Amino acid sequence: MLLEINDIHVHYGKIAALKGVSVEVDEGEIVTLIGANGAGKTTILKTISGLRPLSTGRILFDGRDISSMPGHKRVLAGIGQAPEGRGIFPGMTVTDNLLMGAYARKGDFSKDLQEAFDLFPRLAERKDQMGGTMSGGEQQMLAIGRALMAKPKVLLLDEPSMGLAPMLVQQIFSIIEEINRRGTTVLLVEQNANQALRLAHRAYVLETGSIVKSAPARELLDDPQVRAAYLGAGATD
Amino acid sequence: MTMTTIKTAWTALADPVRAWWAGLGRLPRMGVYALLIFGALLLPNDQIGSFMSPYSDWQGLLFFPIGGYILLAIGLNVVVGQAGLLDLGYVAFFAVGAYSMAVLGKIYHWDFWEIIAVGIAVTALSGVILGAPTLRLRGDYLAIVTLGFGEIVRITAQNTAAIGGPNGMNGIPHPPNLTTWAFPSAQPFSALGLSGLTPFKYAELDSRPYYYLMVLAIVLAIIFSKRLANSRVGRAWAAIREDEDAAELMGVPTFKFKLAAFAIGASIGGLAGVLYSTQTVSIIPDDFPFILSATILAAVVLGGSGNIPGVMLGAFLIAWVPERIRFLAEYRVLIFGAVLVLMMILRPEGLLPSRMRKAEFAEGTGGMGSMGGEVSTSKKTVGAGE
Repeated sequence: MLLEINDIHVHYGKIAALKGVSVEVDEGEIVTLIGANGAGKTTILKTISGLRPLSTGRILFDGRDISSMPGHKRVLAGIGQAPEGRGIFPGMTVTDNLLMGAYARKGDFSKDLQEAFDLFPRLAERKDQMGGTMSGGEQQMLAIGRALMAKPKVLLLDEPSMGLAPMLVQQIFSIIEEINRRGTTVLLVEQNANQALRLAHRAYVLETGSIVKSAPARELLDDPQVRAAYLGAGATD
Repeated sequence: MTMTTIKTAWTALADPVRAWWAGLGRLPRMGVYALLIFGALLLPNDQIGSFMSPYSDWQGLLFFPIGGYILLAIGLNVVVGQAGLLDLGYVAFFAVGAYSMAVLGKIYHWDFWEIIAVGIAVTALSGVILGAPTLRLRGDYLAIVTLGFGEIVRITAQNTAAIGGPNGMNGIPHPPNLTTWAFPSAQPFSALGLSGLTPFKYAELDSRPYYYLMVLAIVLAIIFSKRLANSRVGRAWAAIREDEDAAELMGVPTFKFKLAAFAIGASIGGLAGVLYSTQTVSIIPDDFPFILSATILAAVVLGGSGNIPGVMLGAFLIAWVPERIRFLAEYRVLIFGAVLVLMMILRPEGLLPSRMRKAEFAEGTGGMGSMGGEVSTSKKTVGAGE
């Protein structure tokens, strides 16, 4: 198991955001977490990447307990994240944003830059533009490209489809598939359950801080409860 | 409208200069720097003084507040402009530096040059001590706590009998004379008003040798700060300023770098304190009020937070304008305040912002733009999300 989250509890002050969540991600998989607003999806990702402290529970990554490892060290361990709201550095150019992604690494990054530009030709066209002046879709591409610059073993994606036009959502999702095909494990948090379940191998359904269902993604697509709650009544295909 | 006219006029003036500067090679730039330093050395001239400051002693003014504010602004710029940490208690470090000079010089009779080195180290340490517990906070929470620390340092000085309590300390020694050599009374020196000046003799009456010391300190602070900005440390600071969580996700040890910014900013403030203290001979706790922190912050913001020429210009204006408009008597503070308000309406990003800072400003992030209501419990942060 590459990433194993074991019965974690996370609190914001006295409010429990996660009440004993366990998630497993195997090497090479795409796993998705779906759930409504406020269910705790983002908190799970933040806890994995070290932006939020655990109250109890353990996070194992690559066989090591990383529960108390500071966030910046988890990057070196192999956890990359494109955060909620994209987290682009607005005053840096596209190239500088990408290079920030490789901050923890040493050496020459021209090859990695080229790889990111191959994956996202749009970024190559805008490589000298300030990150803050890009459109939402371009920023999302930049956030994913930047996370990949750290050569992560697992890529955490927090709502990559948020605020994007349907066409762009399609594009982003096919790129995620491509990234996974090239060997990076993906943990995807999504509100767009329909798209996420089509892409992922396995899925977890999160409700107010607890996992209520976990199954292969295809099965959940046909699950009447899931369909009613997350896919909308009209989702027939 | 006139406001827009002024705005466009300023842009029309500033942009070609920026472009010209960007196109300049290394050697011509060095030449420009040398010319600027040379110009700074000629500033304490009576003719310049009679225009710049007809109501007060120009040479004294050049040392402090003008030179002092500029040095402090460069130091605060490391914290606010580069790392994006809003520090409202910066005067604390100025005070620590000044008191280091007073205590080590007067009580322990240390040599001035030793005190400079030790004073910088002591203030850097005080930066770490004040920063370690506070830098887990963000935005306005950090600002409030730093404000508290500024007051704590002043009030501690006020209540510590060993360092003079409310009466402060006097008889602080001047630096030893390096040489009593004087400029000869011949051309071209007499034309420049330098005849008879002893630039390395630190006496009571002549402010000019202290001013030269201040210029040296400013030049060193600029070089140091500039080199940092272009290094890995500077990139980490920029990332923290623009998005602290994202910076951590890039593998930047954010807490460590914030602490470093605090310590480096503090040490520059401490240097200013040492110089101030040795020149003025006597200091009292009330020389280090909150309003001085606010004034230096105003200089940084007015000039263009993050950009060294900008913050220097801001500090110069903040120090000089109130002296220049002394003829307005009690109205001068009113006018000065109105000018500041006007400036913030016309150029909220500062007089000379950096290109990066402009982009951040448009996005509403970057240092003081990102004063979100965020507190962190341990070293981790509470985000806005779930």
